[in-house]
Amino acid sequence: MNPVLPRIAARNLLRQRKRTMLLAGAIAFGIMIVTLINGFAGAFIRNVSENFAYLMGGHVFVSGTEYSPSGRRISVIRDTAVIDEALASSGLRNLRVQKTSQVMATLIFEGKSIRQNLTGIDLGHSSMLRDRLMLLKGTWEDAAQPDALIISEKIAKKLNVLPGDKVIAQFQTITGQNNVGEFRIAGISVDSSFIGSIMAYVQLDYLNSLIGIRNGEYMSLGIMLDRLDRSGTAASALYVTMKSMGLQLFERKAAQDGNAMTPFQAMIREQTRERWEGTRYRVYTIDEILSQARQIVVALDTASVFILVVLFAIVMIGLSNTFRMAMFERIREIGTMRAIGVQRNEVRAMFLYEALFMALAGSVAGLLLAFLAMAGLSLITFDPQSPVFLILRNGHLSFSLPPLRALFNIALIAALTLAAVYAPANAASKLRPAEALRTVK
Amino acid sequence: MNTRPWKFQIQTLTLICLLLAFAMSVQAQARPSPQEILRELDNLGNFSGKDFSAVFTIVTQKPGQKDTVTQARIFRRDTKKQFLILVLLPEVNKGQGYLREEDNVWFYDPSSRKFSFSSVKENLQDTKAKNSDFTASSLENDYTITSMTEGTLGKYPVWILDLKAKTNEVAYERIVLYVRKDRIMLLKREDYSVNGRLMRTTAYPKYVELEGKLLPAQILIVDEINKGEKSQITMTEQSVAPIPDRVFTKAFLEQVSR
Repeated sequence: MNPVLPRIAARNLLRQRKRTMLLAGAIAFGIMIVTLINGFAGAFIRNVSENFAYLMGGHVFVSGTEYSPSGRRISVIRDTAVIDEALASSGLRNLRVQKTSQVMATLIFEGKSIRQNLTGIDLGHSSMLRDRLMLLKGTWEDAAQPDALIISEKIAKKLNVLPGDKVIAQFQTITGQNNVGEFRIAGISVDSSFIGSIMAYVQLDYLNSLIGIRNGEYMSLGIMLDRLDRSGTAASALYVTMKSMGLQLFERKAAQDGNAMTPFQAMIREQTRERWEGTRYRVYTIDEILSQARQIVVALDTASVFILVVLFAIVMIGLSNTFRMAMFERIREIGTMRAIGVQRNEVRAMFLYEALFMALAGSVAGLLLAFLAMAGLSLITFDPQSPVFLILRNGHLSFSLPPLRALFNIALIAALTLAAVYAPANAASKLRPAEALRTVK
Repeated sequence: MNTRPWKFQIQTLTLICLLLAFAMSVQAQARPSPQEILRELDNLGNFSGKDFSAVFTIVTQKPGQKDTVTQARIFRRDTKKQFLILVLLPEVNKGQGYLREEDNVWFYDPSSRKFSFSSVKENLQDTKAKNSDFTASSLENDYTITSMTEGTLGKYPVWILDLKAKTNEVAYERIVLYVRKDRIMLLKREDYSVNGRLMRTTAYPKYVELEGKLLPAQILIVDEINKGEKSQITMTEQSVAPIPDRVFTKAFLEQVSR
């Protein structure tokens, strides 16, 4: 390779600064848009998973299902000791656990009613809940009372309740009987999101007694790990341990068979098809519940490639025409170079170098612009009650660009640019020196 | 010795005993067994061997809100425990439906064209009526009688039956029925929660006769928890004409909803 060619190419680019800036700017704009989309998609699934884990109180979950004598499926974990033993034997470290029962209830206060998901937790000792729930009114001491109820600010406003007010909750027991319970508002929390606002917290034992679950039992165990990305391996370790203890389990591999449904949905479907004796356990992760959200990421990534190609189809036409024009502008120069011994492929390479340098410069500028835009967008604070809160990180947009994705985009841009410039470059290389020198512009 | 007063006393006593025994036997004949009453109530609400259809109009009142009108056409085939409830009003929910096949109840939403799992214990739309209010009655199977007393409801002498659920899977743990004495007709029903709180009171002020069976033509359901909320159900177009088999299918629901 002739080392002079890249230098000539660079010089040619600088000779036509305006034109180069315009073309590189178009490339930079395309790269910036695509990088922003990729960055958003990269952070999307992580943010959604983290936020849901926060709302549901765990990265990994264990639940149990049994059949009642009449064949009704009941969600309950009765042998709590065996789950504790499995957790201890699984080798999982740095985790916090939370035992919960849940029921959909209608909260009623002075003629006003609203549907809420009542989550039973040990309010007196749950550090996980205390860490993530900020009380606006009421105290955690009040929340330790047996009939305590913590609701979000939005729901408190709708029901017009204050700490100390008694509300009635209407719901069904695990066997489907209608029941009613009285709760006293112990705390009003900050709405963490629109999903957070449909969740209310009560004492586990009291809720269990109302929905027909015996004291000490619960519906689901949430395991919060130190890192979200450990959830898959942690769930597998727990699954293997429970299997080795001879417990009945829903197959985790069965969950991966279905294409149209999430692994979690596949697991639920398996449950509806089978009958068994005793309790069968399910071990699943927050990622499995949210795996449909991954399809959104795939869709965003696909859309970004499509946008890139469409933008570049337009840019390529511009590039091709510009380089064709450049060829005619430099026709005598090319003739001179050919006359003093520069080979055809070297002329072609010179044009291609120019295109490549322009693509790289535009890409780098586009990446820098995208990073600046990301930083700017990250500064915007969103309303915690807005529906987009679930895709945010601590109330702000966040971006995560996988390096390979950025490299792929740059490579794609470079390839498309070279393809666009190849025809004029080839035409320039085929010019006869004598004819080129005779040409008068 | 004069034995006449003694003899007179014996005769009087015998007469009293006979009168008492007669009165008791008459009383016993007039007092039906509680099981018989339950069986008769179930029988009145059961159309086994025949199909049943009717249009129910439900006006629901909630404090501070405008009254809402829900109308649904109901098709029942009690022999196979099948029913199909097709929502006609409000216009926004038109085409929604509930289909029962054996113990499964499916809810169909034409806007999403999807079926989702429901239950006979669920409320019909936003009314105080439950899907089970429109199905065949099974009181005798589901409940045991804890007491039967006499009383009056308005101007009617009634039997008051206190029932307890046989299993923990029926919607209400305890129900109290007020059944008219002179003709077996349910006049009032109270439904209680597991922890003994009155949840719902249902009154049956009007009946119509269809094929020799008395059917409530008007039902008033009062929500005792949400004070002031109630639904009034009116039945019209009741019929026992045969219903085609295809009506009790998901395909039918999808077709009529288009």
